[in-house]
Amino acid sequence: MRILKPFEYFEPVTVSDAVGLLATYGDKSRILAGGIDLIPRMRRREISADYLISIQKIPGLDYIQEQENAGLKFGALARLYALENFKGIKKNYPGLHAAIHQISSIQTKHMGTAVGNLCVATPASDVATALLTLGAELTVSGVSRERKIPIGQFFLENNRTSLHGDEMVTGVNLPHPPNGMRTAFLNLFRTHSDIAKVSVAVAVVFEDGLCKEARIAIGAAAPTVFRAVNAEKALAGRKLNSKMIDEAAKIAAEETRPITDMRSTAEYRKSMSELLVRKALERTLESPKV
Amino acid sequence: MKKEICNFRINGRPYELLVAPNTTLSDLLREQLDLTGTKCSCGVGECGSCTVLVDGKPTLSCSTLAVTARDKDILTIEGLSRGTELHPIQKAFIDHGAIQCGYCTPGMIIMAKALLDNNPAPTLEEVKEAMAGNICRCTGYVKIIDAVIAAAHMMRKGGN
Repeated sequence: MRILKPFEYFEPVTVSDAVGLLATYGDKSRILAGGIDLIPRMRRREISADYLISIQKIPGLDYIQEQENAGLKFGALARLYALENFKGIKKNYPGLHAAIHQISSIQTKHMGTAVGNLCVATPASDVATALLTLGAELTVSGVSRERKIPIGQFFLENNRTSLHGDEMVTGVNLPHPPNGMRTAFLNLFRTHSDIAKVSVAVAVVFEDGLCKEARIAIGAAAPTVFRAVNAEKALAGRKLNSKMIDEAAKIAAEETRPITDMRSTAEYRKSMSELLVRKALERTLESPKV
Repeated sequence: MKKEICNFRINGRPYELLVAPNTTLSDLLREQLDLTGTKCSCGVGECGSCTVLVDGKPTLSCSTLAVTARDKDILTIEGLSRGTELHPIQKAFIDHGAIQCGYCTPGMIIMAKALLDNNPAPTLEEVKEAMAGNICRCTGYVKIIDAVIAAAHMMRKGGN
């Protein structure tokens, strides 16, 4: 078993100290939160870091708070396990709950954070796919300012985000679900503990029996998780019936840009994207409104 | 790379150790402390065999830097028995033949302890869900699950 290459280790206790270290050490530094992705990749020599900045000792970053009629927010150290078991998530964002619940390893969920998962920026992130349909907004701190990044602008390509070199994500805000919103999450995998071949999350806002707004996110079928905006447009203002759903699913599949790798072929991913979008949309017709 | 002085409580015993930051918790346990009951099988957080409890939470010690566990309470497989008296989960694993090659066993038993500490009467489904992050390549899952259910039974009757 290869040991980790040596690095300097820091344990800042404030966000400003953490981003100060990021600014000082730049590309040679990495933030350590749960470590679930970072440590194994450092062991595999996929990531090298001369400076490791643990944010685990920064107090107050593990919050999960429901805000009266103002949605929900959670901090950079909110663990997946805590999010999964937080009642407001299961109740108001069942698609997100499903995306976390289906992660099989309890250990991973105890250690891993949702924010860390986002910052890895893998296109195969189930959590990112679900959050993409919920209007999530990331709060980001840098040396001289704090800013918000809508999740749709966060992922640039595989393993690359729009964070600047001195910035870290401190939390995520989810707006209160609009009346009549229904969500669903589905994915396909080789084995349950592996990452997905394709994942799909949808959020549909129903009003007077019509689809007022549809959000369709697809994971593992392009360089980043993405929204199938053409399919969404096709559904907006329409009545959701099986013909409309079939049509939207076909459009969504056309919006994928999948690759062939050891988990799946591009053709299969495209074809399964269509199937999963169809099934997820069908599910919103059955699931209770939140 | 500066080594750091770290305090740990491991299996109830206090330790003060000089730890290099690039030392994982599994390396610290196995190489520095000779607590080789914790197995490091895949080394990349996928198999669960290195599971230990850190402040009661099931943790993959191969993917945890030892320095981040400083001042915490760590329980490894060596901390379960009382002298020569095995823990009910250990007994149940033996009684049900839930051990073949044995590599996954310490992680399985620690994970079972994490489950039963929080849920003394789990359903079959809950046991399966709790143990899903622990891989057994001898594929003895049925016996492992049987053993956890039996251990829960034993512990509720006051076995430990």
